[in-house]
Formats: sequence, structure tokens, C-alpha cells
Amino acid sequence: MNRRRVHELVAGARTAIEAHRRRIDDLNVYPVPDGDTGTNLTLTVRAIDEALRKEGPDDRAGLAREVARAALMGARGNSGVILSQIVRGATDALAQSDDLAKAFRSASDAAYRAVKKPVEGTMLTAIRAMAEAAERDPDLTSIIAAGDEIVRKTREMLPVLTEAGVVDAGAAGLVEVVRGLHAALTGETLPEPPELEEELGVDAIHQELSRFRYCTVFVVEGEELDLEGLERELEQIGDSLLVVGDNSALKVHVHTDDPGRALSLGVARGIVGGVEIANMHAQTQEREARLLHAVPDVAGAECALVAVASGEGNRALFESEGALVVDGGRTMNPSTADLIAAIETAAAPEVIVLPNNGNVIMSAEQAAEHASKTARVVPTRSLQAGLAALIAFDPSHRSEQNAEAMAEAVDAVTTGAVTIASRDVELNGISVQKGKWLGLADGEPVAGGETFDEVVHVVLERLLAEPRGLLTLLTGEDPPSLDELLSELAFAHPELELDVHEGGQPHYPLLLSAE
Amino acid sequence: MTLTTENTAIVLDSTADFPEAPERYPNFRVVPLYVLFGAESFKDYVDITPERFYARLQTARELPTTSQPTPGDFLSTFEELAPNYERILVLTLASNLSGTYGSAQAAAEMLGGDQVRVIDSRTASASLALLALGVQHRLERGTTEEEIDEFVERYKRTHDLLFTVNTLEYLARGGRIGRAAAFAGNLLNVKPILALRDGEVFPVKKVRGNHKAFAEFRNRFVSTTTDSPNLKVGIAHAAAPERLHALRELVEHERPHAQVEIATTLGAVVGTHAGPGTVGFFWFLDE
Repeated sequence: MNRRRVHELVAGARTAIEAHRRRIDDLNVYPVPDGDTGTNLTLTVRAIDEALRKEGPDDRAGLAREVARAALMGARGNSGVILSQIVRGATDALAQSDDLAKAFRSASDAAYRAVKKPVEGTMLTAIRAMAEAAERDPDLTSIIAAGDEIVRKTREMLPVLTEAGVVDAGAAGLVEVVRGLHAALTGETLPEPPELEEELGVDAIHQELSRFRYCTVFVVEGEELDLEGLERELEQIGDSLLVVGDNSALKVHVHTDDPGRALSLGVARGIVGGVEIANMHAQTQEREARLLHAVPDVAGAECALVAVASGEGNRALFESEGALVVDGGRTMNPSTADLIAAIETAAAPEVIVLPNNGNVIMSAEQAAEHASKTARVVPTRSLQAGLAALIAFDPSHRSEQNAEAMAEAVDAVTTGAVTIASRDVELNGISVQKGKWLGLADGEPVAGGETFDEVVHVVLERLLAEPRGLLTLLTGEDPPSLDELLSELAFAHPELELDVHEGGQPHYPLLLSAE
Repeated sequence: MTLTTENTAIVLDSTADFPEAPERYPNFRVVPLYVLFGAESFKDYVDITPERFYARLQTARELPTTSQPTPGDFLSTFEELAPNYERILVLTLASNLSGTYGSAQAAAEMLGGDQVRVIDSRTASASLALLALGVQHRLERGTTEEEIDEFVERYKRTHDLLFTVNTLEYLARGGRIGRAAAFAGNLLNVKPILALRDGEVFPVKKVRGNHKAFAEFRNRFVSTTTDSPNLKVGIAHAAAPERLHALRELVEHERPHAQVEIATTLGAVVGTHAGPGTVGFFWFLDE
């Protein structure tokens, strides 16, 4: 062994880890899912490679020292530090002799010593398994085989890996480094790195972006089930459709924006069970989302939220905070059955329902009563009140605690609306003719007039009578121009934060809330 | 043995956001973490100031990543300090947020002996600086190993730390979001009020808008403290100086005898994980 030969071996390791860098970054969910294990291992091996490119000692002991030092100085990240300790252990032994069993054992011991609380299912397990294999048979082919086998097993050893369906990134990287050394030693070529998708198993199906939001899976049991008929109807509401089974049981997989509708199609034919609904946009848009999904703390919500909303923008607002939205339609009047379906499919044992309209409170209460889960209604009478309740919702709390916090949040907001009177109104000394602009504050008429502007100013006066920090404006289907209004507000209330959204609700060109 | 500022050195990592510490106290050293924009690597506060970092962040196509100091980085600091100090106390960022603690441990092992002691602070940013200043105040009047241990334990139990971010995206991207993932979603100008407890990001409350976030800081600060010169406060911000001023005024108004011991900008490394607009508010009663 001389300097040139050692450099060739390290260069082999570098080629191997560089080729796997991206894949290993993607595998990285432990200890911190920051997706940099492959990069860190690569930078660490690169540092050794670069040190050996320069002039330096050519003797065994000198080379061992230099490699260990270069690894240490270049060690990046947790995985890089552990790798540097493995290199140090190995070179300590290799400084004495070519005994591979001793080198792997010394590497394993050094790695375990470096970690405060060794965790199995990681790089540590991989180096130990390879050391044990080396002691049985000091042949690199069988050592690597043992490494590959333990990497596969890491998936079962750490719950966070099991949940993400991946093997440990550090362990996988370490075996690639050893494989690279072996290839350089024998002159063999390296196998192509495997595709990550294969290792992600069932999740891989969701890597393609669907234009639909929910992946919905359920089973229908019944008699004389019509597979093709169900398929045809499901095709209308989604894609990625898969219906399998026989005339007594069908398994359905569909991507749709309306999982409640898909389930009702099942309910119309038989008994529905095994329901799973996942929000794919949250899952798939970014790799981060996939990793987040693997953080165990996030799973296991105590309470879910079902909200009735109308208008695309409003739906998105509720969904952005995790609510399962039931479309209220133009009349804001979903059926009790729609609400029950939503409660049943919401991903938690308890559910809060936000009716967001005075006319929906009754059917929400009916639905809550008839659902198989504990469901509570927070009787919100408007979308704006619903948004205030939405912010106070915490999925890690039980429904009782949520209901209390959300009701309190609703009390803290004042709501307003500007609409066109659908009949002659005479209330609180305000008289508005059908077809004229009508302004409401907390549900009561406060202004009527010929123009949007004069009415909205009276409503705002009411809303901002007390000092307020935040004014939310939701524009409706035929939104009036707000430019002038907004600049006036910014001038008159410089401290007030304005939050304007295209809500898209019918009938109300403008909804407002102040808090 | 009596520990003093003459015989005891304190080593912080750069996530304490206390870069001027070695200028103020000759027995302090700061070992930088790294921030990486693609293949370009910068030492926190050394090669990249917070100002430059936030400016670059606005135009960067790919978000930066961070990396702990190498054991070698700690080792050279230890080697420099070893001849002049009998004791070297290393206070690092929470070990569950970063491998910095591991690097320092590895370096301590390489130096050998028991001159170096590495302490996992379980916290970050100006909260780590407040802890170091608490240790320093004790060294200034002469202290013992036991007293320092006791102080560090009490600090971990009793200090308070609240922060709010403009978006949870940065915490999520860096894998440090913890249980606050439940707070994801930011269409509605939601300001998540977060805490760091034993090194984990914890969701406290969601509010809409900066006014309410500020009111929440005020409520929690006022309800957990009394006015005393022993009340020590730290404030840190990421490219949001106006909020730093507002918090300073809040402290002066509500707790006029309290000491604002550190008011700082979040450096590149902490900024990478929290994002611009982050404000942190830290306090504890140093009895």
C-alpha cells in the first residue's frame, strides 16, 4: 500500500457516495429530517480525497494518521462525524496490519464511543453488522452483503423509518462507501444506484401530482355489486381510479376533491368500511411534505374539523388550516348526510363542526348527533365567524377543549357584510328597498343605499368603533373594486392590519370581520 | 477549586447569536457553525454577517442549509485555550436540534483529560447567550463546579422562550418543526406563537396578525414575571428591527427594573431555520 493506492481506494469510495448522494438525501428522516445525510457523507469523503491529492507521507502509519485527520476535519453533519469516527477506528487498526476483521471491529467500537446515546437502526448498526461479518469471514464481498442485509432491516428498527417506509440514510450511505472501496480494490464497476421510488413502496403512487386533493380509499360490501357502474360514476368526480373485487366486495381507490361524494356512491350500494382519506397536496407537492408526514409527533390528531363553506377562495382558507370542507353550494345548505359523511371521514376520533351559517346550525347538530364519533358543533353564523374559530382550533386537543376555545374566539370578532337586499327591509329604523345595497353588522341591518361605497363605510364605522388590530375582507362572486377603500383605511387607521382574500362566496360581494 | 474568569473559559457555538462575546469577555470563544448556499460554505458570523445573509436569502434560488462545526473546529479552539485556562466549559445548542454537541464531545475526547466539559444547553439563540452570561456572572464573583451545575439545571427548568415566525416553511424545510407541524398553513396571516422546550419546537397558540402576536408575548411575559433587577431578558430578531424595538419598549414599560442583557440579530444559521421576520423573546429570573 502506498499513497497512490490509498488515494485510488478513497476515490472509489467517493465515486460511490457521489452517485448515491441525492438518493440518500431523500432517505434522510432520522435524526432530523433535513435531507442532507448524502451531502454530508459526500463532503466528508471528498475531504479525504482532496487531502490525498496533495503531497504527503507514503508510509502506512503516516497515511493512516492523515486519512483519519482529513475525515475529522472535513466531517459535516451528524452522519459525517460518525463516519469520521469509523474512519478513525479503521485507520487505527490498519496502521498496524491489513487485518480486515480488526479494522471493522475497531471502526465499530470508535463509532459507538462517539455517540452519547447509541440508537439502533442507524449507521452504528450497519458498522457493527459489518464488523461481525468480517469476524466470521474477512472477505469484503460477504461483509458488503451483510451490510446490505442490515440496511434493509433498518426499516423495521426505527419507528420513524417504518412510518416513512424508508431505510436509514446513514446506514445506506456507509455501505455504499464500503462498496466503493471494494470496487476500487478489485477494479469492478459499481452497480447503478437504485431508484428511490421503489424503496418508498406504496407511497410512490402519490408522487405524481394529481389535480385532485384527496386520495380516497374504501371498501364496499353488499350483494350483486356492479363494479363497472361504480367505476363509471367515480370517473365523473376524480382520477387515478382503481376499483377491484367481485360482486360481494369492492375495493375503491380514487383521487377526488369530494371524498364525501365518492363515499355516498359506495353507501348507495352497500356497507362502506376501511375508509382512508389523505390530503395528497399536503403529502406530495414537496419532498418536505413527505418527510413531515414521517415525523411521528404530527400524526395522531385528537380532533378534526369539518367546516361548511361556499366559494373556492373560502374553501382554500379553511383547508389551509386543516379543515375538511363541505361545500355549502349557492344556498349554503348542505344536507345532513353530507355532514355525517364528512364527520365519519375526518381523520380523528373526535370532530368539531362549523356550520358557518345560521341556517346550517340545525342540520349540523343533527349530523353531530347521528354520527358514530363524538362531534360537537360550534354554532358559527357566518364564514367570518368560522374563520375566527378556525384559528383557535388545535388538532392535538380534545373536542371539548376546542369547542370552548373556538367559541371564545368567535366572541372576540365583530362581523359585517355588504349585499343587495332581496326584499324590502325595515329594521332598526333602517329601511332598504329590494335591489338596493344593504349593510349588516353582526347580522343586523345597519345601512342601506344606492351605492356600495356609502353602505360599506357605515359598516366599517360600526366594525372599527372600538380599536381593532386586524380587518379581514372576503370578496364575493362579483367583487366591487376595493382599491380606494383600502388606501383610505390605510390612511385613517395606520396601525390596522388588512387581510384581503378572494373568497368567492355567492350573494355577498363583501364579507368583513374585525378583531 | 474556585472557578473564576481567570481560570475558566466559556466556549459557545455561533447559534448563541452572541458574536461580540469574545470582545466583551476575554475568556469567551465562539465556534461557528456553517451555512451553505449550494456548494458555497460560510462560517456563521465570520464569513457572512446576518445582514449579508438576509440580503442573499432574498435572491437565493435554492434555500441554504447548515452544518455543525467539525470536531477539528472545536479542537483548535480547545488547543488555543488549554495552556491558559484550567477549565473549559462548552455550552452548545440543543443536541436534538444539531450535532454540534457531538462535534464538541468528539473534540473533547481527542484532547483527552477532563479539562473540557461539554454541556448540552437544550436551548438555542439568545437563550443560550443568557445561560452563558449567567455562568459568567458567577465566574466573576468566584464559583464552584457544583454551583454551575445547579445553575444550568435551574436555567433549563425555569427559563422562558417564545418566538414567532413569518412562515413555518423554514422550520419545516430544515426538519426542525417538531410538534408545531400541526400549525402549518399560512394563508390567513397566521402568526404561530412557538416555544422551545427541551430542544423541541412546541406550538403554543395561533393568532392572526402581528398585533395579536405581540399582545400574546406581552400576556405571557407579564403573567409569568415580576419586576426585579434579577429578571434577565434577551431579544432576537431576523431582519425585523422594528419588532425588537417594540419588545424592548414593552420590557421597559412593564418591567422597568429588568435587565435586557442581550438584544441581537439572528445569525445566518439560526436564520436559515427560522426565516426572516422571526422574533424571539427570552427571559428568566436569575435569583
